[in-house]
Amino acid sequence: MSSEPLEDIAKGVIKGTLEWTADFIKQLAKGFQENKLKFIRDKENIEIAKEQYNSGELQIYKTYIEDKKKLMILRMGLVLRKLENKGEKEKKQNLREDIMKKYEIKGLHIAQFVENGILNRYIGILLDDISSIEKFKEKINEIIDNIERYVLFVKTTDSERIVLESCLRITTSNLSMIFIVSGMGSAAETIKKVEERLKELLKENYELEKMSKGDKERLFFKRILDKQ
Amino acid sequence: METISLKEVSLNSKIALLKELGFDSDGEYVLDFKRNKVMDRYVDIPVKVENMVILPGSTIILDDNILSLSCYMEEFPDVL
Repeated sequence: MSSEPLEDIAKGVIKGTLEWTADFIKQLAKGFQENKLKFIRDKENIEIAKEQYNSGELQIYKTYIEDKKKLMILRMGLVLRKLENKGEKEKKQNLREDIMKKYEIKGLHIAQFVENGILNRYIGILLDDISSIEKFKEKINEIIDNIERYVLFVKTTDSERIVLESCLRITTSNLSMIFIVSGMGSAAETIKKVEERLKELLKENYELEKMSKGDKERLFFKRILDKQ
Repeated sequence: METISLKEVSLNSKIALLKELGFDSDGEYVLDFKRNKVMDRYVDIPVKVENMVILPGSTIILDDNILSLSCYMEEFPDVL
């Protein structure tokens, strides 16, 4: 094998035009089989994945969540947030689709829960009233396992009536510490239209904090504890 | 471990590399020795030659997407 690094020899100039000789391909295959080489497409996706692998926020989640599948979904939520902040719409949409394929709609909802900062807000609420670390862990895992009891993800096809009925159904069957109504695009418009009625309907048990941003609407209802 | 980028490499060269590693291609997808499409082991999708990454761990061929790469990092923490 040449003393010059193969990665330098292998560099091309124009996408899809670099032709390798048969001998060089054999050299590369040999290098791979001897664990001296790996082949990537480009560094971008690897760098994005690495960044969240080492993020402080993920390390905090690891303190309370042990399940590897859940942690991977939370990690993907952090990546979604990063892609959103960088304006990487196509990459974000591709990742959303991959999360759906692997973890189904529930996995995507959990990832969005992290992306939107709702999990962190919930952790903040729990910290205000922490009785034991075990109880804290239990509550965090409970919300991840049963995301649909805490968050209504409004679809673009949902009418105002459906949103209101769903909110009432969820909060009646489970008077949770928090309840979130979340949607984007035209679903966000639907949420805006029902906001006042929802506030009125839930005022006995919840106070509203808004966490809206851009074309996303999020109504964050926090349980009124002194009325328990 | 050296890293080779496949982004600028021609389709023919990538297919020749696959063949050298015991795989094949129909011109679009990566095929195994039985000529079945190779599926990404983390996100169950067939891997396209255009988007493939080839990583150690008994020759793991993945689609270049953030979720698969993240899962690979979890399984093989020291490679990427």
